[in-house]
Amino acid sequence: MAWEESVCEKRRDMAERDIGGRPEYLTPVPGPGTAPGAEVLLAAVARGDEKAFGRLYDLVAPRVYGLVRRVLRDPAQAEEVAQEVLVEVWRTASRFDPERGSATSWVFTIAHRRAVDRVRAEQAAAERTVKVGVASIGTPYDEVADEVTGRLERQQVRHCLDVLTEVQREAVTLAFYQGHSYPQVSELLRVPLPTVKSRMRDGLIRLRDCLSAGVAA
Amino acid sequence: MSPDVHALLGAYVLDAVDDLERAAFDRHLRECEVCRMETDELREVAARLADGAWSAPPPRLRENVLAEIAGTRQLAPPAPPPARRRSPGRLRLVAAAAVVVAAAGAGAAVYAIQDQRVRDARQVAALAEQREARVRSILSAPDVQVHAERLNSGGRVTVASSQSRNAGVIMLAADGAPDPGKVYQLWTIRGGAPASAGALGEGQSTAVQVVDGMPGASDVGVTVEPAPGSATPTTPLDAVVKLT
Repeated sequence: MAWEESVCEKRRDMAERDIGGRPEYLTPVPGPGTAPGAEVLLAAVARGDEKAFGRLYDLVAPRVYGLVRRVLRDPAQAEEVAQEVLVEVWRTASRFDPERGSATSWVFTIAHRRAVDRVRAEQAAAERTVKVGVASIGTPYDEVADEVTGRLERQQVRHCLDVLTEVQREAVTLAFYQGHSYPQVSELLRVPLPTVKSRMRDGLIRLRDCLSAGVAA
Repeated sequence: MSPDVHALLGAYVLDAVDDLERAAFDRHLRECEVCRMETDELREVAARLADGAWSAPPPRLRENVLAEIAGTRQLAPPAPPPARRRSPGRLRLVAAAAVVVAAAGAGAAVYAIQDQRVRDARQVAALAEQREARVRSILSAPDVQVHAERLNSGGRVTVASSQSRNAGVIMLAADGAPDPGKVYQLWTIRGGAPASAGALGEGQSTAVQVVDGMPGASDVGVTVEPAPGSATPTTPLDAVVKLT
């Protein structure tokens, strides 16, 4: 855990310099105005459109893979689970209900759930082999990706995580990025169970308020 | 419904519950429309945390996934429900309104606000997504080239550029913001002539900027300019990144 703490410390130090600032952004650059959004693509995927699936893949795969890899830590397993997730998206596209949320959030919900299921299955089977050193898969993409991840992360999401109280932030990130259950989080933070449950909920509500305040950015 | 189950909402959204609790909460959701709306809304928020975990997948993942879906049968759409799924809850609310006007009025207000919040959250997500989609498409280009330099004032500027996307990304991470009244400004240099690629705000020290036509430039420069930025550089370059 020590290495993680030091990473967190570093992150926090980096982030502290931005405290009091607003979300970081530049004058907006016009995007590819004609690009269809995830909703449109997913609807086409539900009708069996493989081309649309390819475009949806390009839109969500880096976040699906990144999220799964962050939870599982092992790049080989992450690749395997990311593949399961993306095939699941294809298979169950018709079950997406736009009334209940955005298409991307539907995809990341599947991805997170699968990653956490894998963590739990392993924990149940045996003590999970922690392969801290294997964080790099050695493709040149990785280096770039990590560079940017840091930057993007420190933008809105990072900024908003910093708005949370310490316990809220720890509760949310230990569960989301590391796949811990709330009793495990309670153990790790030495905070009673009911407190952990309410901090997770308060934390998400506070994040929501911060993220929607960023509309102007 | 029991407050015990309801207290799990945050943990449920974060997948931090066990299978039994999940099943109990799913049952609870079927009966409680307000909880369902809050759950949907917070799930949208949790999904944004995935933005913070972005990582380029190995290129073979795409081929593998596309090959697998070509041989995977899709689920049929769900049978349409006998009535709109939301109506039972709504009807109950309407009925309550007829009886207790004040209480139902407050309930309706909560609905309206939550609806609005779901929309806001989606709008934010869409904007962020559009911006990040550009960055991702450039960084995952097969021919992406990366160059980095230190800033004289401390920090780092990294430029990723792709011929095939005819665009590039400038990532600035200065150690600190310039003095008050001054801002960092980014430049692309073509044939010795600098063109502004955007200026940061006062107090800002990091940025990610997409630049169209980047491969045509020979260098990327960074200067410190009087806010809100200048038409041409007025100070010596803080960093120059050679692209060729």
